[in-house]
Amino acid sequence: MSNAIDQTRRMLSLVTYLRERPGARVGEVARAFGITERELVGDLNVLPMCGTSFRGGDLLDIDTDGERIWWHNADDVAQPLRLSSDEAISLLVAARAVAGLPGLRERDRAALTRAVAKLEAAAGDAAEGSARVGVTFEAEGSVFADADRAITERRRLWLRYYSSGRGEMTEREVDPIRLVTEGHTYLEGWCRLSEDRRMFRLDRIADIKVLDVPSDPPPLELRDLSEGLVRPAEDDPQVVLEVGPGGRWVTEYYTYENAMELPDGGLRITLRTPDPAGLLRLALRLGADGRITEPPDLAERARSTAADALARYADTGAAG
Amino acid sequence: MPIAKSERLMNLALCLMNTKRPLSKRELRDSIEAYREAADSASEDSFNRMFERDKDDLRELGLVIDVDENALDGELGYLARRDRNRLPEIALDAEEAAALSLAAGVWTQARLAGAASGALHKLRAGGALAESDGAEAHSALEPRIPAREAAFEPLLAAARDRRPVSFAYRKSGAAQPEQRSVEPWALECWHGHWYLAGWDRDRKDVRVFRLSRITGRVKARHDAFRAEVPDHVDVRQHVARFAGEGATATARIRLRRGAAFPLRTKALNAEPVDADWDELEIPFGHGLAADLTEFGADVVVVGPAELRSDVIARLRAVAGSTGAAGIEAAVAVATTGGSAQ
Repeated sequence: MSNAIDQTRRMLSLVTYLRERPGARVGEVARAFGITERELVGDLNVLPMCGTSFRGGDLLDIDTDGERIWWHNADDVAQPLRLSSDEAISLLVAARAVAGLPGLRERDRAALTRAVAKLEAAAGDAAEGSARVGVTFEAEGSVFADADRAITERRRLWLRYYSSGRGEMTEREVDPIRLVTEGHTYLEGWCRLSEDRRMFRLDRIADIKVLDVPSDPPPLELRDLSEGLVRPAEDDPQVVLEVGPGGRWVTEYYTYENAMELPDGGLRITLRTPDPAGLLRLALRLGADGRITEPPDLAERARSTAADALARYADTGAAG
Repeated sequence: MPIAKSERLMNLALCLMNTKRPLSKRELRDSIEAYREAADSASEDSFNRMFERDKDDLRELGLVIDVDENALDGELGYLARRDRNRLPEIALDAEEAAALSLAAGVWTQARLAGAASGALHKLRAGGALAESDGAEAHSALEPRIPAREAAFEPLLAAARDRRPVSFAYRKSGAAQPEQRSVEPWALECWHGHWYLAGWDRDRKDVRVFRLSRITGRVKARHDAFRAEVPDHVDVRQHVARFAGEGATATARIRLRRGAAFPLRTKALNAEPVDADWDELEIPFGHGLAADLTEFGADVVVVGPAELRSDVIARLRAVAGSTGAAGIEAAVAVATTGGSAQ
C-alpha cells in the first residue's frame, strides 16, 4: 500500500500549497509536485471527502474547473508540516553525498553545504538518524571537472582510455552526454571511434582534453538506468561460470541472467556479455574459486593465458 | 467500494491536527466515515488494528501524535499538537533549492525516493524553496545511490530506531549462511555496495556486514541495544582497508608497458626495466594477489616472496583445471583456495 502512503504524504503538502496560492493553475501545481495532471486531479477528487469531521459540514471545499484550483473554505488546517525522520534522512544523506563528490563545482558544493546546515536546524530530532547513514561517491576530480565543462559548453572530448575488456589503452574522441555516479562515476558519451553510445569509467581515463570542436552526438533518448548501468543485449554471447563459495561475489559485480545454487555452496552463473574475452580477467582473478565452463574455447583461453603467465615465473627461475 | 486508505489517513490526520483537546478512539471513529464503515461491517478487533496501523503510518510520515492517558475518564485521547508539528522557519535561496533538488533525486530505492520527494514537497508547500530563474548552470551530473539489497530497508529502519535485528549471513567464502544477532549502528554505501556496522551480540564485538551477503529476511527485535553506541562509527575505513586501501607494506612488480592501467595508477614509483617493461612499487594491501593475477602475463611479481607464491598458486589453479564440465570438479577446486574479495 505504499501508493496510499505516498498519496497521503503528497496531499498533506498539497493543502498547505493550495492554501497559499488561491486559483493555482493545475499544470503548475502538477509540475511543482512532480506528478501528472491526471494524478493531481485524482488527489483533488479525494480532498473534498476529507475534513475534521464528515458530519460537521467542515469538509475541505476544494474544486477545480480543470484549469485552476479553488479552495473556498481555506482556514488554518494547513500549516507547513515538520519533516519526518525518513524525509530528513533521505535529503541530508543525499545532500552530504553529492557535496562530497570530487570535482563538483564549488558553487554547487557551497550551496549544498548551506542547505544541509539549514535542513539540520529545521529538521531537529528528525535529523538525528541521518548520521547513521553515509554514502561515498568516487570520482576523479580533475577528469570530472573537464567532462562537466565539456557537457555544459557542448564540446567534444579527447580521451586516452583504458579499455578494461581489451586490457589496453585506447585513444578516442567522444561527444559527452552526461555524468552518472553510482559508486563510481561514469561519463556517458557518443564514441566517435566505435560510432556507438558508451560508458567510460572516470578512473580509467588516463588523459582528457576538452577540444575546440562542438559536440555533435546523434539525437539520443536517455536510457533509463534504474536496472543498472550495464545491460547486456539479448543476442550477446552467453558465458557460464562455476564458482565455489569464495566466488559468489561475482553475482554482485556482474549483471547475470541466472545463478543456480551448487551443492557445495557455490553457484553456476549464466551471463551475457558483448565481449566474452573481457571475462578472461575475471577467470584469472577467481583463481581456485571458480572457472569458465562455457563456451569451451573461452575456457581454454583462460587456461592458456594462465599458463603463459606462469611461464614468466619459470623464466625467472623461481616458480616455486 | 470501500473508502480508499489515503482518504482515511488524510481524515485522521486532519481530525488530529485540528482538535484543541485529545480525541478518544470512539470520537474519531464517529467522525471518520471510513472507520464507521469498518466498525459496522467488520469486527471491533479489525477496526482496532486498522486504527493502530493508521497512527503508525501517519507517524512514519512525520506527524507527532500525542497520547493523553487521563484526558477522557480513563480512555486514551489522541491529538497532533500544532506547535509540535509545524515546520520551523527555513528559507533556501534559489541556488540552495536547485542543488537540493538535484541531490534529492539520487535515491533509486522506492522508500527513500518517496521520502526525499515528499520532503521537497513539504518545503515547497511551506514556501521554503525560492523559485529558480533557471539561469544558473549546474554540474551536468546524475548522481544515483543504488540500494537493490533487500536488507536495506529493514536495516535502515532498525538503525534509525536503534532496534536490534537478526538475519542469516553468508560470510565471504562460506558454504552456508549463519544466523547473526546484531545491534545496527550505521550503514555505509561504498563503491556502490552497502555495508552495516554494528555490535554482534554473539561474538561480543564490532562487526561489518555486507548487505548483499544477508540471505533471507531481516527480523527486527523489540528489546533495546545493550552495547554502548560509539559517537563515531567509521564503516568506510573498515571496508576500505578490506579492499586493500591504507596499506603500509609495499610490493615490487614488473608490468608490461601500456598494460594494466589500474595498477599503474596505484604505483608509488615506477622505472623502466627495458623497452617493454617497467618495474613498479605498489601498496601491498588486502586482496592484492587477486588484483595482480587478473592481468595474467602482463604482470610479474618480483617480491615479496609470499605474494609471488600466492599469485603463482592462483595461476596454477586456472592453468591446471581440466575443463571437463562437472560439479565435482568445481567442488574440488573451490574448496582449496582463499577468497578473492
